[in-house]
Amino acid sequence: MFPSFSLPDLPLAFPLGGMDIAFYAVAIVMIVMAVMTVAVKNILQSAIFLIFSFVGTAILYLLLHAEFVALAQIMVYIGGVVIFVVFTILLTSHLGEDAFATKIPRIFAAFALSIAFVFVMIKCILPTPDLSSGAVNAPEGFASLEQFAVRLLGYGPDGFIIPFEVVSILLLMTLICAITVARKSKDEVETGNQKEAK
Amino acid sequence: MFVPSITNPVGDFVRELVPQLAAFLPASLQSDTLNSIVAFLVNALICVIAVCIVNIGSAPILIYMERKVCAHVQCRLGPMRLGWHGTIQTIADVLKMLFKEVYAPSGADKLMFYLAPLIVLIAPFIVCALIPFGRNLVVADVSMGIPLIIAVNGFGVLGILLGGWSSNNKYSLLGALRSGAQMISYEISFAMILLFVVMISGSTNLMSITLGQEGTIFDWWIFKVPVLGIIAFILFFISSTAEMNRAPFDIAEAEQELTGGYHTEYNGTPFAMFYLAEYIALVTNSSLAVTCFLGGFYAPCIGISFIDQYLNMVPGVIWFFAKVFFMIWCYMMVRWTFVRPRVDQLMDFEWKFLLPVNLVLLVAGAAFIAISG
Repeated sequence: MFPSFSLPDLPLAFPLGGMDIAFYAVAIVMIVMAVMTVAVKNILQSAIFLIFSFVGTAILYLLLHAEFVALAQIMVYIGGVVIFVVFTILLTSHLGEDAFATKIPRIFAAFALSIAFVFVMIKCILPTPDLSSGAVNAPEGFASLEQFAVRLLGYGPDGFIIPFEVVSILLLMTLICAITVARKSKDEVETGNQKEAK
Repeated sequence: MFVPSITNPVGDFVRELVPQLAAFLPASLQSDTLNSIVAFLVNALICVIAVCIVNIGSAPILIYMERKVCAHVQCRLGPMRLGWHGTIQTIADVLKMLFKEVYAPSGADKLMFYLAPLIVLIAPFIVCALIPFGRNLVVADVSMGIPLIIAVNGFGVLGILLGGWSSNNKYSLLGALRSGAQMISYEISFAMILLFVVMISGSTNLMSITLGQEGTIFDWWIFKVPVLGIIAFILFFISSTAEMNRAPFDIAEAEQELTGGYHTEYNGTPFAMFYLAEYIALVTNSSLAVTCFLGGFYAPCIGISFIDQYLNMVPGVIWFFAKVFFMIWCYMMVRWTFVRPRVDQLMDFEWKFLLPVNLVLLVAGAAFIAISG
């Protein structure tokens, strides 16, 4: 028989539940993917790694019980933004095929900037009270779709109906602008018809 | 300490069984935390296996069915030689495809080339996990089922675009671009129809959408909302056909123009994965149609209690799959009946007809809810 060895003490000394393991796994994947995004030479490949980094972010939101934000992240960034980036790369001839390199001074500037950014982030986040004591995620159902909709379309003091309507007007303007840009003017239509007639 | 749990009778059974089995282990390995983690992992494994069985198991059946339907539409017999009426033919084809050599064309981006089929498979598998196949047969009973379905559908476009680009072939690239444009366009009306269902059922959870259709056949969402339900069902049928890239909307493949489209350069297992994704999407879209419009796992009761008691004896899973295969048969008949539209006709149809009709339908649905209370 096994002697009583102290295996459970090893992982459980750290407050390690399923969520913690999931957080560290997702965080490592995210960091690797983010580094790959900037390190890979091919621009299309970096777009793909960016997608996986976004998926990691969405999973982090899920772990924090912010389901709607997670789905919005996937819908907007993967279903929308990155797909259009990929489309643009595919439609631009030879952009995706050639490797590109940045100049050395730029790399140094980028390093300096990012280190400064990390420093500022740590400086701002670390003094937050209760950072290490856990219980940072919202209770389950706090950010559910019903709660979200009630807040978003609420008329009361904690409702967001006016910003919501303003954003919808902005979207309508964007749609109208897109149609105006895309549609043919009368001259073009006529010349097109003449060409077809010929 | 939070360990996610899977709530269904099978999950409860595993959760009870694991501590009993753990009692045989050495004392230092016994803790409630460890037991719950092990139970969760076992449950997750069961769920993964269930999804894989439904998805991968249905593909050979569907391929056989497609060949037979196609053959009978065209007054042929289809596969007849291997097994009874050619039933082993698909297994032989699958084996042949699995044993083929896998190679990428020269100049192809190897990473992207092999990643694309995997990405295409993401969306059908996730959607399949959300479908309630029976009252207790659902892998992930999440509250935001329909937004999740809309969100993960974007991966399909991505996989096709990547596959087409990385093949280093002009036909593939053209097919991928066409297919991407088509899928992005039809995704909008697909999402709008699902929103219509959410609006009339008042829930985004697929299980409660199904539970809202209990009763007779006239309580299904297709008939419960007069006229609008049928229109919404037809629109869903059209947009999901286009979403799956199936004929008559198969301009992505268009054999005569593009020699196969985005998967021209694929062979062996990667090609099988594209093919598999296509057929799983057929199953999941049919399941969605059944869940959202045709009453899910409820029996088609007609209101006469003498007949209904016999209909209710049949388990819900069997009704569900009967309805799913009816939907699949409809998709196949449409595929072999209609001709393929041109690219510009396809886009005009979506942006100038389907989308406005969808918007009007949403407004009409809201009016119906406001009037009927």
